[in-house]
Amino acid sequence: MTPLIAPLAAGTSPGYLLQQALNGVFNGSIYALFAVGYTLVFGVLDILNLAHSAVFMAGAVIALVLMLNFGLPFWAALVLAIALCALAGYLLDRVAFRPLRHRGAPHISSMITSIGLALVIVSIAENRFGGNSQRFPVDRVPGGELHFGGLSISTVDIGILVVTIALMIGLAFMIERTAPGRAIRAVAENPRAAALMGIDVDRVIALTLVLSSALGGLAGILYGLAQSDVSPYIGRDQVELKGLAVIVVGGMGSITGAVVAGYLLGLVEVAVLVFVGSNARSGVAFAVLFLSLVLLPAGLFGRRAGRTT
Amino acid sequence: MIRITRQLSIGVFGAAALLAGCGGSTSSGGTASGGTNYTGKTLQLAAVISLNGPGNVYGLQQKTGIQLAVDEINGHGGVNGAQIAMDIQDDGSLQQQGAQVFQTEIQEKKVVGIIGPTLSNTAIAAHPVANNLKTPVIGPSNTGNGIVGQCPYACDYIFRDSLGEATAIPDNVKTAVQKDHPKSAVLFYANDDKFSSDGAKIFQQAFKDNAVTVPDGGVLQFSKTESSFKEYVTTALSKKADIWAISSLGGIPAKVMIEARKQGYTGPFLGGNGFNTYQVSQQAGDQGKGAQSGSGYFVGTDTPTNKAFVDAYKAKFKDTQGKPQLPDQIAAQAYTAVKIFAEAAKAANLTFTDLAGDRTKLRDALAKVSVDTPLGQFSFSSQHDVHQKVYVVAMDGKGGFSLVNTYEAQ
Amino acid sequence: MDFFIQLLTDPVGFYDAHQLLLAQVGVNALLTLSMFITLNCGLLTLANVGFMAIGGYVSVLLGLNAHVPFPLALALGSLAAGLVAVPIGLPVLRLSGIFLAIATIGFGQVVVSAILNIPATGEGVGLTNATADPSIVPIFASLLAVAYALWRVAGSRLGQAWAAIREDAVAASAQGINVPRYRLVAFVLGAVLAGYAGGLDAHLNFFISPSEYQFSRVVGVLVFAVTGGTSTVLGPVVGAVVLTSLPEVLRFARDYRDSINGLVLVAVILFRPQGIIGGRGGRGGGFRRLLARGRRAVPREAPA
Repeated sequence: MTPLIAPLAAGTSPGYLLQQALNGVFNGSIYALFAVGYTLVFGVLDILNLAHSAVFMAGAVIALVLMLNFGLPFWAALVLAIALCALAGYLLDRVAFRPLRHRGAPHISSMITSIGLALVIVSIAENRFGGNSQRFPVDRVPGGELHFGGLSISTVDIGILVVTIALMIGLAFMIERTAPGRAIRAVAENPRAAALMGIDVDRVIALTLVLSSALGGLAGILYGLAQSDVSPYIGRDQVELKGLAVIVVGGMGSITGAVVAGYLLGLVEVAVLVFVGSNARSGVAFAVLFLSLVLLPAGLFGRRAGRTT
Repeated sequence: MIRITRQLSIGVFGAAALLAGCGGSTSSGGTASGGTNYTGKTLQLAAVISLNGPGNVYGLQQKTGIQLAVDEINGHGGVNGAQIAMDIQDDGSLQQQGAQVFQTEIQEKKVVGIIGPTLSNTAIAAHPVANNLKTPVIGPSNTGNGIVGQCPYACDYIFRDSLGEATAIPDNVKTAVQKDHPKSAVLFYANDDKFSSDGAKIFQQAFKDNAVTVPDGGVLQFSKTESSFKEYVTTALSKKADIWAISSLGGIPAKVMIEARKQGYTGPFLGGNGFNTYQVSQQAGDQGKGAQSGSGYFVGTDTPTNKAFVDAYKAKFKDTQGKPQLPDQIAAQAYTAVKIFAEAAKAANLTFTDLAGDRTKLRDALAKVSVDTPLGQFSFSSQHDVHQKVYVVAMDGKGGFSLVNTYEAQ
Repeated sequence: MDFFIQLLTDPVGFYDAHQLLLAQVGVNALLTLSMFITLNCGLLTLANVGFMAIGGYVSVLLGLNAHVPFPLALALGSLAAGLVAVPIGLPVLRLSGIFLAIATIGFGQVVVSAILNIPATGEGVGLTNATADPSIVPIFASLLAVAYALWRVAGSRLGQAWAAIREDAVAASAQGINVPRYRLVAFVLGAVLAGYAGGLDAHLNFFISPSEYQFSRVVGVLVFAVTGGTSTVLGPVVGAVVLTSLPEVLRFARDYRDSINGLVLVAVILFRPQGIIGGRGGRGGGFRRLLARGRRAVPREAPA
């Protein structure tokens, strides 16, 4: 029996497929949220910030530590952790990206510096937090599931979906309509021209890193909440690399692209599991990435030809 | 020393067992520990464990268990008068590093025996190195296939005091079948990890042996780096199996169980050694209640030896919140490995001058050793594998474990 | 530090105690040189670890199943890697800068996935390589031979073509250099060398498994190259030597070893971007043009 038919013929109900689709969407939310920060930095600085996954992890770890060791309530811990991640983003720019930028270093140098800083952050987390996977205290965080029509939907997942969509709309609004947003777009388009127009490029870039890292930290906390998993390793491997696949497929620098591609990847992965089987799962994201680069290099929402550099 | 004084009052037998290292002939059954007098000598051992990397969730407990044992033995007359010098090194949870550090410890530090490494994955790279250099090794947490006995490489110098999955899982399944009478099962396992993959094969065989069917598509594999299990759980639910088995390490077992309960699975969980730490039980919390696994150790075992060990461990180890931490299987097996080496060394007639000869003598003595440990009475089988009781335990939903039943040593 | 003291005072003992480490250093140096080949041609490709995996698995499988003697298995493994590089390289090398890097990362992951799904490779559990023999002579002999060969190539017509492409691909094309062809040659040669290093690496350990070829290894090789410098053949070798032995040298600081690795990397980039062995091109040497055109995935033919 061909793989496509088997699961349907095995008596699985439309409810099963619907639940799986929801799974794909909910997984996609985290991919999207993670990828937005990633792609924002690339769009503005042409840099692949590989410390983003470390900030993702740091958000979750810091929030948990604030709750467990300092007794903060969840929302306070969330806000404070995000603020600290934003600060980390600022420092990343100040300490590493800005000096390199000012002396005209090639972009790869910044990428490699971000790798080094990621190593430092993960190592510190490993040493201070320990390598174990922990969980946000169940009685002090949002939780619970809705059950109807044979489906099971976690309230946290719905919340994340709402947050992701809201953030995307908010970001789009900010970038299109507000002054800082216009400045970001100008710098992304052409930093030299932007400087000539009187924009403080360094400040804009710092803002971008702050925004990106805040989003990354938020994504990490929500991941830790949704997956009951907070450890120094949550950013590594899969999340980091899938984020890469997402921003490439979505189009480097495109926020809409990152979100759409994030959800797309979530759905495709689940589809492969459902229709092909669990053994084919691991390579999906990268096969998609590879094919996308070869067939559609600019990505779904990438910039078209004719743009000035 | 206050702790030790308190333990002396527990009972003569307890004191005798604890003070077995104090040069007395109060052996706990087995080799005559009155052996050669080693006063003034140093017994060079090494522990190569995962202090960094994902394995450090086990490595840190192993370090404490080992340090506890070394301090206890050294503080009570050592090994027939010899002091243990335990060099604790990091294998980084990496195969190459594990092998390299093994080599350095053997050649440079000239140790006479090694405890380690932490992960089965690392062991298959590091153990052959030790075997080639004819140095005895006790694997304190290597529970995969082919680690001792029938190995893909020569392993006559390799032992383990960690109950293998090949024993733990079948006993676990047997208990579950007697208790819950499942007709069908699904199996989750990490396909890029030796321990998990080996465990999966053993689960499948155990299910077959107990007439539990695994439906088509009921074996779900994933990468150990997988981030979300929603879709796997949904697939498993659609198979409507009576019992779910999870063969994996780290944070994965708890994640699967939590997601399963969220999506409405109410049946029992079975697992391998990946279940047997407090961190996993704590992470799973209420959703893990009743999750059952075969273990080489149960913290509540009511023997004087174990009670003394638990008390001493609690005094030495605090968790991340600063509360006294109970020892788990990982810590107990590491602690026991030291005790085993010490006991074997007593009977081995070591010269402390002929390193190669001493290593082989120690290996021979290990094969014959029998010692009372927190795991129970312990000796090695003819395959250098464990010969001890098997404890089937279940998570209690509050971060700890309860005992389900035990099987006597085979 | 007793590591260095022992090296100087007791070389034989040092060798006995660190032979595996030395072998690993040699393999890493070869691997970094494979990256050097492509970097020198202006290509930021991160596929080396994927080709390494191909070379490793093919040579081990041939040895285990067909009892092919090691040198031949090694050669065939390298060849296999080179053969795979051709159909991969053709579409992928059209991409520029960061997109090429990402595509090659993706390729590496696909290789690992393939291994995990082919039963003959032992999948996730891996294979025991009973024919393992961690002798360092073939490794260092190869390293010397390869380094010498690359040094000679640098001055040859091939090397000069590569250098021209690295400096300005459009100008090189205008001068009649067949840019795509030379790039493919660099890519395939890099793959062959990586496959060769992979075969040696697999032969070092009694075990081969996909966990050896994860993204972290890719990052590691890149770090070796950058730290050592990529202007000359010596740079990658030095980078590999220093960073592979660093964990052993820093054993006393084991808890913070990764932090130190990370900080070393940051320090090198910030304060000595041309790497330990600097060279022509000053800041970052050959990297300069790699990401010059930023966002365009496929560069236009005419200058902007």
